[in-house]
Amino acid sequence: MQHDPAVIAGVCLVAEAAIARAIALSPGTARQLEELHPVELAIVCTNPAIDVFLVINSDGEINVSSYRETEPTVCISGSSSAFLKVATASDPAAALINGNIKITGDTAVLMTLQNVLSDLNIDWEAPMVDLLGPIVGHQLANLIRGLTSASRVAHQSARRQLSEFILEEGRLSPPRAELDDFLGSIDDMVLRVDRAESRLKRLKNRVNILTGAST
Amino acid sequence: MMSTHDKVTDDTTDFGFERVKTGEKAGRVREVFDSVAARYDVMNDLMSGGMHRLWKRFTIELSAVRPGQTVLDIAGGTGDLAAKFSKLVGADGHVVLADINAAMLSVGRDRLIDKGALGNISVVQADAQYLPFEDNSIDCITIAFGLRNVTDKNKALASMHRVLKPGGRLLVLEFSKPVSPFLSKIYDTYSFSALPAMGKIITDDADSYRYLAESIRKHPDQDTLLNMVEDAGFVDCRYHNMTGGIVAVHRGIKG
Repeated sequence: MQHDPAVIAGVCLVAEAAIARAIALSPGTARQLEELHPVELAIVCTNPAIDVFLVINSDGEINVSSYRETEPTVCISGSSSAFLKVATASDPAAALINGNIKITGDTAVLMTLQNVLSDLNIDWEAPMVDLLGPIVGHQLANLIRGLTSASRVAHQSARRQLSEFILEEGRLSPPRAELDDFLGSIDDMVLRVDRAESRLKRLKNRVNILTGAST
Repeated sequence: MMSTHDKVTDDTTDFGFERVKTGEKAGRVREVFDSVAARYDVMNDLMSGGMHRLWKRFTIELSAVRPGQTVLDIAGGTGDLAAKFSKLVGADGHVVLADINAAMLSVGRDRLIDKGALGNISVVQADAQYLPFEDNSIDCITIAFGLRNVTDKNKALASMHRVLKPGGRLLVLEFSKPVSPFLSKIYDTYSFSALPAMGKIITDDADSYRYLAESIRKHPDQDTLLNMVEDAGFVDCRYHNMTGGIVAVHRGIKG
C-alpha cells in the first residue's frame, strides 16, 4: 500500500518537534548528540512499508525525515510487530538483538545512541517556571517529580508482588532456580540418551562383525 | 516540443477560466499577488488547514540538498522554503529567493530577516521564463505553487533546465488533480465556494482567490506536467501525489 507522503511528513514533523523538546529539556543531551554528528539512522519498517531517517546535525539536533539518498550509518529493519515488541520489552537492547529485527551498518553507533537516549533526564522545572513563575512553577515541578517517583516505586512494587504471588503463593509457575535445575537435568538426560544410543550402535556393529566371522 | 495543455497561442493564454492576451497575464497575476501578499501565509494556512507546510517539508526532503550547494527557489514568495534551504546549505552554500512579484519578495525578505536567515541568501526579482543566471550554475531549483501562474510554462521549464548544473534537480510543487472522483467533487465545492468566501473575509478580495482556484483547474494534471518536464530535457522524471493528488511534486534531473 502506498502511503501519502504528506501524512508521513506530518508524523516526522511531530516526532521531530517532540524529540527537540525533550533534548532541550535534558541538560547535556544535545552536547552528547553533537559528538555523534553526522550519524544517520534508518528505520525501515517492512510491513507496513515506511522508512524513517533520523539524522543528527552539527547542533546536536535530530532531524526526522521520510526520504534520504545518502547511505545511513546504521539501518534497523523489521516488521511493525517486531518493532512493537522491542518498544514494549523490559530490556529493549536484548529484544533488539534477539528479535526479528535486522541491523546493518555501524552497530556501535546504535549502542552509543541508545545510551545517550536512556540517559535522557528531562527537567520539567524550566518550562514550568517559564510558564507559571518561580514559586508556583517550582512547587508544580516538585509535585510532578514526586508523582513520577511514586508511580515508578508503585510500578516496581506491583511487579515484585505479582511475581511473588505467581511463584510463592499461587505456585502457578516454578521459581527460576527450580526451572534451571529441571532444564539442566533434561540436558543431562539428553546427553545420557545420546551416549547410550552411541554405545548400542557400537555394540550392534560388533555383534554384526562377530556373527559374520562365525558364519 | 510545446505541450498542447499549456495553451499559449500566438496572442492569448489562460488567466484562470479567462483568455487574456499573452502579454497581459504577468500583469494580471501581479495584481492578484500584490493584493494577497501581506496575508499570503495566513491564507495558505487557512485554505490548506496547515497542509502546505507538510507538502513543502516533503519537497525539501526530496531535494536532498547538501551543505555547500546553490539552491534557487523560484516564485519563493514569502520565503518559507528559502529559510529551510538556508540552514541546509550552510555558510558555504547559497540560496536565491526569486519571484516576479516585488510585493511578495518584500514580504519574503522581511520574514527571512526576522528569522535570522541571512548571509547565504540573495533576493532576486526575476521572471521564471527568463532566469537571469548563468548556464549550469544551480544545484537545485524548486518552484512551489508558482508554475501555474507562469505565462509560458514550457519556456520556464526550459529556462530552469538551462541554469541547472548537469545532475542538478528540479522540483515542481503544484496543485494537481485528485485521484478519487469523490475527493475531486468535495475539492471543487471547497475551491469555488469556501475559498473565495475566506478570501473575502481575510483579505477583502474574493476575486483573487477565485483566480487561484480557477488557475488550479487550468493547470496540467500529473501526467501532462510529467511529459512537459521530460520535454524540457529532464531525465529520471517522476511525481509523488500528496493528499490524494490535490497536490503533486514533480522531480526531474538534468542529464
